[in-house]
Amino acid sequence: MTAPEFALKIEGLNKTFGDFHALDNINLEIKPGEFVVFVGPSGCGKSTLLRIIAGLEHASNGDITIAGRRANDVEPSKRDIAMVFQSYALYPHLDVRGNLSLGLKQAKKPRPFIEAQVLKAAKMLALEELLHRRPSELSGGQRQRVAIGRALVREPQLFLLDEPLSNLDAALRANTRLEIARLHRQTGKTMIYVTHDQIEAMTLADKIVVMNKGRIEQIGSPMELYRRPLNTFVASFIGSPQMNLVPGSKIGLKDVSLVGIRPEHLTISADDGPIQGAVSHVEHLGADANVYVDVADIGLIVARVAGDVEARPGETIRFDMRPDLVHYFDEQARRIN
Amino acid sequence: MSSAKFNRPPSTRWHILVFLTPTLLIYTALMVIPLASTLKQSLYNRVDDTLTFVGFSNFSKLLFDPIWATGFWNALSNNLVFFVIHMALQNPIGIALAALLANPKLRLARFYRTAIFVPTILSFVIVGFVWKLILSPLWGVAPSMLKAIGLGWLFAPWLGREDSALIALSLISVWQFVGMPMILIYAALLSIPDEVLEAAECDGIVGWSQFFKIKLPLILPTIGIASILTFVGNFNAFDLVYVSQGAQAGPNYSTDLLGTFLYRTFFGFQLQLGDTYMGATIASMMFLLILFGVCTYLFFVQRRLQRYQF
Amino acid sequence: MSRPPSSLIRGIGAHIALAGYTAIALFPVAVIVINAFKSRAAIFSEPLMPPTAKSFSLIGFETISSRGDFLSYFVNSATVTGVSLALILLFGAMAAFALSEYRFRGNALIALYVALGIMIPIRLGTVAILQMMVNGGLVNNLLALILVYTAQGLPLSVFILTEFMRQISADLKDAGRIDGLSEYKIFFTLVLPLVRPAIATVAVFTMIPIWNDLWFPLILAPAEQTKTITLGAQVFIGQFVTDWNAVLAALTLAIVPVLILYLLFSRQLVRGLTAGAVK
Repeated sequence: MTAPEFALKIEGLNKTFGDFHALDNINLEIKPGEFVVFVGPSGCGKSTLLRIIAGLEHASNGDITIAGRRANDVEPSKRDIAMVFQSYALYPHLDVRGNLSLGLKQAKKPRPFIEAQVLKAAKMLALEELLHRRPSELSGGQRQRVAIGRALVREPQLFLLDEPLSNLDAALRANTRLEIARLHRQTGKTMIYVTHDQIEAMTLADKIVVMNKGRIEQIGSPMELYRRPLNTFVASFIGSPQMNLVPGSKIGLKDVSLVGIRPEHLTISADDGPIQGAVSHVEHLGADANVYVDVADIGLIVARVAGDVEARPGETIRFDMRPDLVHYFDEQARRIN
Repeated sequence: MSSAKFNRPPSTRWHILVFLTPTLLIYTALMVIPLASTLKQSLYNRVDDTLTFVGFSNFSKLLFDPIWATGFWNALSNNLVFFVIHMALQNPIGIALAALLANPKLRLARFYRTAIFVPTILSFVIVGFVWKLILSPLWGVAPSMLKAIGLGWLFAPWLGREDSALIALSLISVWQFVGMPMILIYAALLSIPDEVLEAAECDGIVGWSQFFKIKLPLILPTIGIASILTFVGNFNAFDLVYVSQGAQAGPNYSTDLLGTFLYRTFFGFQLQLGDTYMGATIASMMFLLILFGVCTYLFFVQRRLQRYQF
Repeated sequence: MSRPPSSLIRGIGAHIALAGYTAIALFPVAVIVINAFKSRAAIFSEPLMPPTAKSFSLIGFETISSRGDFLSYFVNSATVTGVSLALILLFGAMAAFALSEYRFRGNALIALYVALGIMIPIRLGTVAILQMMVNGGLVNNLLALILVYTAQGLPLSVFILTEFMRQISADLKDAGRIDGLSEYKIFFTLVLPLVRPAIATVAVFTMIPIWNDLWFPLILAPAEQTKTITLGAQVFIGQFVTDWNAVLAALTLAIVPVLILYLLFSRQLVRGLTAGAVK
């Protein structure tokens, strides 16, 4: 058996709810072993796309191929996928062992196999001590691990994770993020991860799919998106603080509609920088500082500079920028250079 | 994803039908069709031993023909008195009890709540006889108790007297059903978030003014529901009168309600034979009255009552 | 926080008011039960005293066991209530699941159609129901009562359970689908256990009016072998009006089982009602 070229292939997929076009002509190819993140603001269709891949919703038209097999009419449980839900969705009446094994029991796998799979997953996620507990007796982080374990035991072709970190507190979120990255390395499985958080996307993904209003805006590696955003939406979605977008006419560029400069690409210059304004506010983050500057005609611009900057509100400040790091966009907000 | 909606291709959706069929079948066959056919029969009567469509003449007979109209208007006005006494006593007492119970610092709240709800779970048969015995001049429980507090002169065989029987029965029924508004309003009071009440305390709104300015507006929708349930229950009442006063709703029909009037008409009593078609007509009148009440409530009252999302 | 004296007074006032009303609620019931265990003379001479060694008597209960068939009435009531309740809960939960879980044409219309039955009393259809039962040969058959009570209880059951089922996490059901559970299995193994508190509430609320109903037993099943306890007690008391011992004993027999059931379930009742409130 030769391995199929793509773990998942989506062609010409549309989804409408009545008059509402939730997904518009989605085309996507995912290679085996890739970690792909769907990212976008809430309501952009990323969760709907994930649920269609899972088979929990049906596409209005278009094709879904999972591991070389057309999956449009295949039931969720037969698609060789596993899903981790935002709310974990653990079966409240079953203990951890029961939660992990239900899917395999339902698929009529032999007992020793189930037992081995459960133990393997429990070991990988440090759940051995908790196998007899009910979900209500677990902490948030433990529930999250059980939810991941329930996906692991199925050894699916495709892992689907729907905002799995959004119910965890900040510290636990960072830990679990590392845990998920480690799991991906260890298992080598294809994973699709949905989030609205660009930091999760940047840190986890091999490939990011940026979505907006039911469309894919851009597909690429994290650094590709950072360096060459195809349009202003991607440009301002990736990177924090957001990229500064300045009308070209305001700085003497006739054939450019918008000029994009990332805050971290602005440097304070002694006297001759092209951008000048009054400091309106300074956010000290420790290593860095965000300096908000009110520039005449343009408005508020933010620069990310070294943390020891001594700018005070009201002071005049000048910035310099490297021309090769500046992004240019046309009237349709598309990239020019 | 908050939406539970789940779209599947039509071919695999037989289960929806399986889930719905038993309910729809039983409900339609035993409730909707009988109601519809009762409404239909109210438009028919026997003329010269053949079943004939008579239009609304059954209704005009019921409303204007002295043979029927005397009984009908008597039952209707008794029913109104019955309802007004309930509204005037049952809801205020229920609200007051609920307000006292909902105080989180109150001890024994569960005991009070359980005890006060006891009459509500008893059947009319029990309630009717219990009060009949207690108020009976033969036994003398009520008179001797009144004597003990110096009000012995007050006692009269209330259930046996034409001028007081209906009021006594209404009070018995209030006694029985106070638990219902109490428990509904109690639940509504508990559902007011603590933060709202704490904010009120910070604003200096405490005690009675907190009840009237904060809590009461928030529980108005529940009071509305309790009232409409009372209305439907009252205009449908039968058992209590039948048990304590008999189908004749004595003395001299002074406690006759629409329910007992329907029963006598449909099944007959003493020498008079039962009349299916006039029975259906009375049931239809009751249906229209209840429908009117419910619609008034839904379209005029409930709309003005804000529902608050916490 | 120290309590100011005014709130202490208010606390005492609340207890006086509640204790007073509790006495009003319980007193009539207590008088009946106390006197059921006394001799006829004692019932009349000291109606408010509990039975003493001298006044204690079970003569009323003896009359009942020799004259009335309360055991069979009780079995009839239990059968009718039990079977109706089971059908109301099962069918109601099934319909509620369909209405809350699936999007299909006519969903809102069906929900409204069923909800109408909450407000309209089924008694108003009695004329036609009786004709139907006569035609179907179901008069004096407990099945007639079971069917009527099931129809009567379903609307409220569907309504309450739909509300509760809407709150169940959609993720959970989807997780079940991914694990390969059928829609039926999702309903029975995932959803039903989660709405248990709501089911208990519906059960208590539907059970009481069924057990206590006099109208339909009187009309549909008045025969001796199908009498329910409510009707049985009513008829018995009517016949033995002058035998105070027997009447009080019959009332006590009718009160006690309901009271025990209520005390067992009263926590559930309030918990169900306040489920939305105290999470």
